[in-house]
This record gives sequence, C-alpha cells and structure tokens, in this order.
Amino acid sequence: MLYELAQSLTSGLLIGGALAVLSVGFSMAWGITHVLNVAHCAFAVLAAYLGYWALNRWGIDPLLALPIMLPAFFLLGVAMHTLLIRATARRAHDLGLATMVLTFGLGVVMENGMLLAWTPDPRVLKTAYSALTLRVGPVIVQAPHLIAFGLAVITIGALYLFAERTFMGKAVRAVWQQPMGAALSGIDLDRVTTIAYGMAVATAAVGGVAMSLLYTFDPATHLSWLVYVFLVVILGGVGSMLGSALAGLIIGLIIGISSVFIPLAWNNLVLSGLLIVLLLLRPQGLLQR
Amino acid sequence: MLHVEHLNVAYDTLQVLWDVLLEVREGEIVALIGSNGAGKTTLLKTISGLMKPLYGSIRFMDETIAGLPPHDICQRGVIHVPEGRALFPRMRVIENLELGAYLPAARAQRHHMLERVYRLFPRLKERWRQDAGTLSGGEQQMVAIGRALMAQPKLLMLDEPSLGLAPVLTEAIMDVLAQLNAEGMTILLVSQEVQQALDIAHRAYVIENGRIVRSGPADELRADDAIRSAYLGL
Repeated sequence: MLYELAQSLTSGLLIGGALAVLSVGFSMAWGITHVLNVAHCAFAVLAAYLGYWALNRWGIDPLLALPIMLPAFFLLGVAMHTLLIRATARRAHDLGLATMVLTFGLGVVMENGMLLAWTPDPRVLKTAYSALTLRVGPVIVQAPHLIAFGLAVITIGALYLFAERTFMGKAVRAVWQQPMGAALSGIDLDRVTTIAYGMAVATAAVGGVAMSLLYTFDPATHLSWLVYVFLVVILGGVGSMLGSALAGLIIGLIIGISSVFIPLAWNNLVLSGLLIVLLLLRPQGLLQR
Repeated sequence: MLHVEHLNVAYDTLQVLWDVLLEVREGEIVALIGSNGAGKTTLLKTISGLMKPLYGSIRFMDETIAGLPPHDICQRGVIHVPEGRALFPRMRVIENLELGAYLPAARAQRHHMLERVYRLFPRLKERWRQDAGTLSGGEQQMVAIGRALMAQPKLLMLDEPSLGLAPVLTEAIMDVLAQLNAEGMTILLVSQEVQQALDIAHRAYVIENGRIVRSGPADELRADDAIRSAYLGL
C-alpha cells in the first residue's frame, strides 16, 4: 500500500506538471486579456497532432518540433487576437462571455477540421523514449512523464522570468492588475494584450505536446482536457502563473492519491466536486501574483 | 501649453461636460474646483485620453490630442495621476515607479529620475521592496506622484491627490506640488481641498454641473464672496 502510494504520488506530481503547463496560458489569457478561450485545449490537441505528424512523417521528435511550433502558435494567437477578439471587444459589454461563445465556436471548427484531417481514431505517441523507465528507490518513473514535467518547468520558469525581469513582462502584469494605471503610464494596452495572448496560445503548444507524451488523444479530447484546465486555473487564481504551477501539481497529486483509493471512473466526480467546493470557499484562487 | 475649447463629453447618452473652455500656460499651477459630480474627473480623463470627446478640441503644445489613445498622449508629456491612484497593488514600489518610465524616452533617464523621486519622497526609498497595495494611503499617493514623475511630464495633472489623507499629509503633498512647480513643472490640479489648492495655484476654474462658471487668478477667487460661501465654508 505504501509503495503503491509513493508510486502514485510520483506519477501524479509529474502529470500535475503537464496539467500546469496546459493551463498556464488559459489562465494568462483569462486574467490578462479577459479572453475566456475555451478553444485553448483545441490548440493543444492541434499541437499534439502536429508533433505526432512530425514524428511519423518525418521522424522528427515532437520535442524538436516544438521550437518551430512555438513561434507559429504565437503568431496564430496574435492573428486571432487582432482579427477576432479586438473586433469582439469593440462590440461586447462582457468580453469574457462574448469570447467564451466565440472560442466555443472556434473549438468546434477546429475539432471538426482535425476530424477531417486525422480521423477520430485515438493516437498514441510512440517516441524513442516511450518505453524508458527510471528507478528511483522503489519508485519507477517513466521517461515521458519526466520529460513532460521538464517541459512544464522550463516553460513556466521562462514565463515567470519574463514577467518578473523584463519591462514587457512587467507591463503585462501591470495591465492585469490595473489597466487604467497601465494606460496612463504609457503602456499600449492593445499591443501588450495581443502579445500576452500570443504567448498564451504558444504555451498551449507546449501543453499539448506534454499531454500527448502521457495520454492518447483524438480531436474531441480537448474538452476533457478543458475540465482539468478550468480546475487548475480556478484553484491557482486566474491570471497567476505561479498559481497555475502550484495548482497543477496539487491537482496532479489529488489524481495520484485518488487513483489508489477510489475507482478510476470516479476520478472526474472527485475533481468536479472539488471545483464546486473551491468556488464556494475560495473563488479568488490560491495566488494573486 | 494646454488649450481645451468647446469640449463636450458624454457617458453613452448622459452628457457631463458642456462647452468647456480651459487653458493651462507653461509654468502655472491651475486649480480646477467644483463639487462632487461636477465633471472634474471627466475633464481630466478626456484630456488624458481615457474618454473620447463628443465634440470640441484639446490641443497640447500646438498639437491636437483629442481622441488619441492614452499611451500616445502620455508620450507627448501629459501625465495624469488619477483619482484613487490606480497603482499596481501586487507589484513592488520600485516596479510601480519603473513602469512610470515605460516609454523609451523616459526609460533612458529612469535611474536619474528615480534618484529625484527618492529625494522628493525619502519614504519610498525605505519601502522600495514592499508591494504598493500594502502601503498607507499617503505613501500610495507618493508612489502615484512618483510614478507620474518617472514619465517626465511636461504637464502633470492630479485628480484629488489628497482625498482621504490626514491634514498633515495633505499639506505635505501640496508642498511637494509647489516645490515641483518652483522647479518649472506645469500642473493642473483637481481638488476638493479648495483652500489649499487656491493657496498654491496661480489661476483657477470653477466647474458646476459640467460647465465652467468662473475663472480667474487664484487670489481673486479666494476673495470672492460666492466662492467663499460655496466652497470654503466661510
């Protein structure tokens, strides 16, 4: 039992890292740009397919495809914000609600596009390191889990340094905390929110590749990932990068622990119950910075 | 320096400013006084670009700025310290100040300006690591003015800088404004502390129900019976 728990906690923690990096961009987009991008995980699944495709067509590992995907997804996000979201913002009173409807439609379009392109068959990513394991004491760690966790640490770490150390990063935080004060300090709100949104979509690519290392996926998978993302972001605090990291790990650990004590099918029930309790007790989330 | 002419501003269908005429000359402190809801805040917000005018012109240093976005107006040297301060509450004092110097021209000078702000408000130097949201009201107002100075304003506009502060702090803030003005800063001051505002101002405008009803040298308004009874409680 103890061994089983240690094993579950370890893999839960590593899965938590993947959940964190899948969620951090959703949190940024919601908190900083007030866009509730429910298509976030559709972008992630798209990245998972592109990684899968790169590997099976050209033999390029998804990790090596990421440096190409990142700028591409950034530009996709910038285009989406400039063309769709700013136009919506000019007309809508409640940008969160309006963009939720908008991106829900976008998610459906993307899902169907992926169905056409890649069929509904679930895909399993088989990389050179898929079967590798590491033994840490009595605990066995799978290499893909460790790599997904590493991707999360690097991505969230880089975002954190960007936000804390660079002028542009500080401007992003300023816009999040007090848009009027930011505008009066000479910060171009349109420009900064567009850049932040582009970065948010770019992190979806990392999240998608990280998740594809752990789970099978098909075009409809994005909706089940979105449930996790909502949970992580609500727990962590909307807009908070470190909050997403912390909450991702906590949710991962809960998934790990609950898999020992309750049937797997009840997993989502536990998580959804947790979401409701959270909204009642601490709707602002764990962290605000 | 600043010329506002025939300015009309509305929130949706509710018009709040009517045909406002106001001028600020280089080197002046101009006070804008009036009761709650008279339109003082709306006027500043329109000058700084947070609100768009319905009609009318705003010129700053012979360029039309009406309707430009706030960051553009900020770049031209019109810096607005808004009511309620609008600090970044979960960022350090130093980060708040640095962000005041966000635009490239100010950024190049930021170390020099930071020294100046610290000389003006030694308190901020002691508190530089603290989150702005954890400071007292007076200290927050110092950060707000400091952040504005970091942008190297040509015209500094302040909206109720002493609201909610103890009298001794109000006096300290007014002293700082007078000192900045003595060093050449042009200031447009909105204040409900009419007595103190008129004490440091050269000229003043009185606004009622969205219209400018009086204007003139501060001394003249201070001696005026109608102003004394309406705003000074004398």
